[in-house]
Amino acid sequence: MARKPLDEVPRATVVRRKRGRLSVVWIIPILAAAVAIGIAIQRLAAEGPTITMVFAAGDGIEAGKTLVKYRDVNIGQVTAVQLVDGYTKVRVTAKIVKTAAGIMVDDTKFWVVGPHIGLTGVSGLGMLLSGNYIGVQAGSSDRSRREFIGLDVAPRVVGLKGRRFVLNAPVLGSLGVGAPVYYRGLPVGEVESYHLATNRKSFEIGVFIVSPNDTDVHPDSRFWNASGIDLTIGENGLDVRTASLLALLAGGLSFDTPDFASTTDPVREGTAFTLYGDRATAMKQPDPFAQRYVLLFNEAVRGLSVGAPVTLMGLTVGEVTEVGLAFDPKTLAVHPRVFISFFPERTIAHFGPDQQPAVRSNTELDEQKNIRLLRRLIIERGMRARLQSGNLLTGQRYVAFEFLPDSPKPLIDWTVRPLELPVAPGQLADMEAKLASILDKIDRMPLAAMGDRAAAALKTLDQTLHDAGSALQHLDADTIPEIKKALEDLRQVLEGANATLLGRDAPGQQELRGALQEVTRAARSLRGLADYLESHPEALIRGKSKETK
Amino acid sequence: MRVSSPAARQLGLVACVACELVSVPAGPEDPGYCPRCGERLAFRRQRSLQIASALLIAAAICYVPANVLPVLTTTTLGSTEDDTILGGVMLLYNSGSWPLALIVLVASVMIPLGKIAALAYLLMAVQRGGVREGNDQARLYHIVETIGRWSMLDVFVDAYTVALVQLQPMISVAPGPGILFFAAVVVLTMLAAEYFDPRLIWDAAEEGKRIHGS
Repeated sequence: MARKPLDEVPRATVVRRKRGRLSVVWIIPILAAAVAIGIAIQRLAAEGPTITMVFAAGDGIEAGKTLVKYRDVNIGQVTAVQLVDGYTKVRVTAKIVKTAAGIMVDDTKFWVVGPHIGLTGVSGLGMLLSGNYIGVQAGSSDRSRREFIGLDVAPRVVGLKGRRFVLNAPVLGSLGVGAPVYYRGLPVGEVESYHLATNRKSFEIGVFIVSPNDTDVHPDSRFWNASGIDLTIGENGLDVRTASLLALLAGGLSFDTPDFASTTDPVREGTAFTLYGDRATAMKQPDPFAQRYVLLFNEAVRGLSVGAPVTLMGLTVGEVTEVGLAFDPKTLAVHPRVFISFFPERTIAHFGPDQQPAVRSNTELDEQKNIRLLRRLIIERGMRARLQSGNLLTGQRYVAFEFLPDSPKPLIDWTVRPLELPVAPGQLADMEAKLASILDKIDRMPLAAMGDRAAAALKTLDQTLHDAGSALQHLDADTIPEIKKALEDLRQVLEGANATLLGRDAPGQQELRGALQEVTRAARSLRGLADYLESHPEALIRGKSKETK
Repeated sequence: MRVSSPAARQLGLVACVACELVSVPAGPEDPGYCPRCGERLAFRRQRSLQIASALLIAAAICYVPANVLPVLTTTTLGSTEDDTILGGVMLLYNSGSWPLALIVLVASVMIPLGKIAALAYLLMAVQRGGVREGNDQARLYHIVETIGRWSMLDVFVDAYTVALVQLQPMISVAPGPGILFFAAVVVLTMLAAEYFDPRLIWDAAEEGKRIHGS
């Protein structure tokens, strides 16, 4: 065991040796890390959801630029725009702020908002500079969602309370998105969308009625097209109606509830209505108890079309539903066959309130009672159907029921359905018949005998006139010289009188002149007196003063 | 293989880090002060590696938010746009001015990253003793030190832009939080390079020679 020199062995120190202590500099990276992590945490905490929307087209959406706005407040920004589905669609990814994360639910809608210039107004001009943005309509669902299908057409009404309804129309007409909806002339909503229905034969038009007028839509409300010019040539003549100028340009709808509506409860959102072509059609009362009758006319029914009114004493009580022909193989007679619908409800409405129950009890539903009433009207009162000309210019015709007590009793089979009602010749036909009878009478006159008699009378007249001529000749020769002489005498008498009274030296004249001179003198002195009195009125009392001399 | 030059310490001398005057130290423990410039002398900077490493790690941490956070916030007629450094590079490149994009990319992204990487390599090489010659490492260190002062380009541009582009309400530009981190990266890497004692490279090379050499 070799002994090692002690001085080679390290000596323990008395003072504890300072360990290589950690430098204070390490605070810097720790601080840097703390700040960086702090910022990261803050960012992550503020991080909202990332959502995707699929649109048909990009429409000016730019990644990192386009904003997502809800009620005009930024709630997010587009982070990426990609083509998907075989380059047919655009998927837009957007980051939504955390505070708006609650809006991203199942039925939230997204669409691209751009500047809009249309007939119904100009909007979003600011976007010409700032670019389009993505509009949001918050859904009401509770289930949150991150992937959405964007709307191609922006919903027209955002953030307004109201109700949406669906209208079924056979044709779209001049309606467009944004077309106004009027309630008694007040704009209360607008057309939001339209698309072909699944049967490809009609349109489904989505309308939005803004609160509080949405409660004016009732189950019995009618919608009709108020757009454009409504030009009708009917039995009432030419009828031109236009809505407001805006509706004229952009199309428009109107709705109203007819007076006969059974209920005025507001209707559920999304209810479907029929869109009528015009107000008249729309507001027509539905006639559930229409009674059908047939009329066989004896005259041409040209001008009578389906839908033409059937009137009773001039008031509409029904309409023509079918126009055709009827053939009787026995007699080979061909008659126009006209089916009409009689609307008892509408007829009853024409009567006064006090009489309505009585009329109703006789017409409604009870067929036997109805037939009985008809029988009495036809047999006792002579009720007949006849064709009338509504408008001579257009040739429109209608069926009128009139009471003609003188008409012959008809033969009616009361058991046939539809019941055939008796007809009377129409006014035109009536007039023709009268004209014919006049001509017939003229034809039957003994014109030849009348001519002979007239010739004889003329001969007599000629003789009479001749006699009068000779009498006048006699008068001319004898009487006129006598009259001439008498006139000469009269003139001589007048001349004598003239010389006596008015001649130059006639005595009457002399005296008259002298008298006139006297009057002139008197007048002159009177004037002198008057002049004096005017300047000296005191002379009346004191007499003429000496100073005036 | 070049002939290795002896270090000042081996000759019993000490070099001043400030004025590079080589002088005889006052004592073996405490070399005293530089006779020319008065700087405190040290055979090797105390805790050089530790401080440089700490600063470098701090710089590396700051580099992440500097690139992730926006450096500029531009508001153009209501729409606000945040630009990061890389976003700016892409914007310049997309708008056709690729030389400018290249300059920004090199000055603002590649140089800070390269500096961090170079310093990290130097620190590890010195600590682990992976230095053979020492010449390459020394050159790398000098490049890092020289380039460092140009790295504030981004900060200057940012400051100028913010000061100049104030056309309220049309356009306004505000600095983003990223620029602070970017400035921190630059400052921290410069400090790390400063605290790194290049003489350690030669020490490491010497040691490497002793182990691997003949």
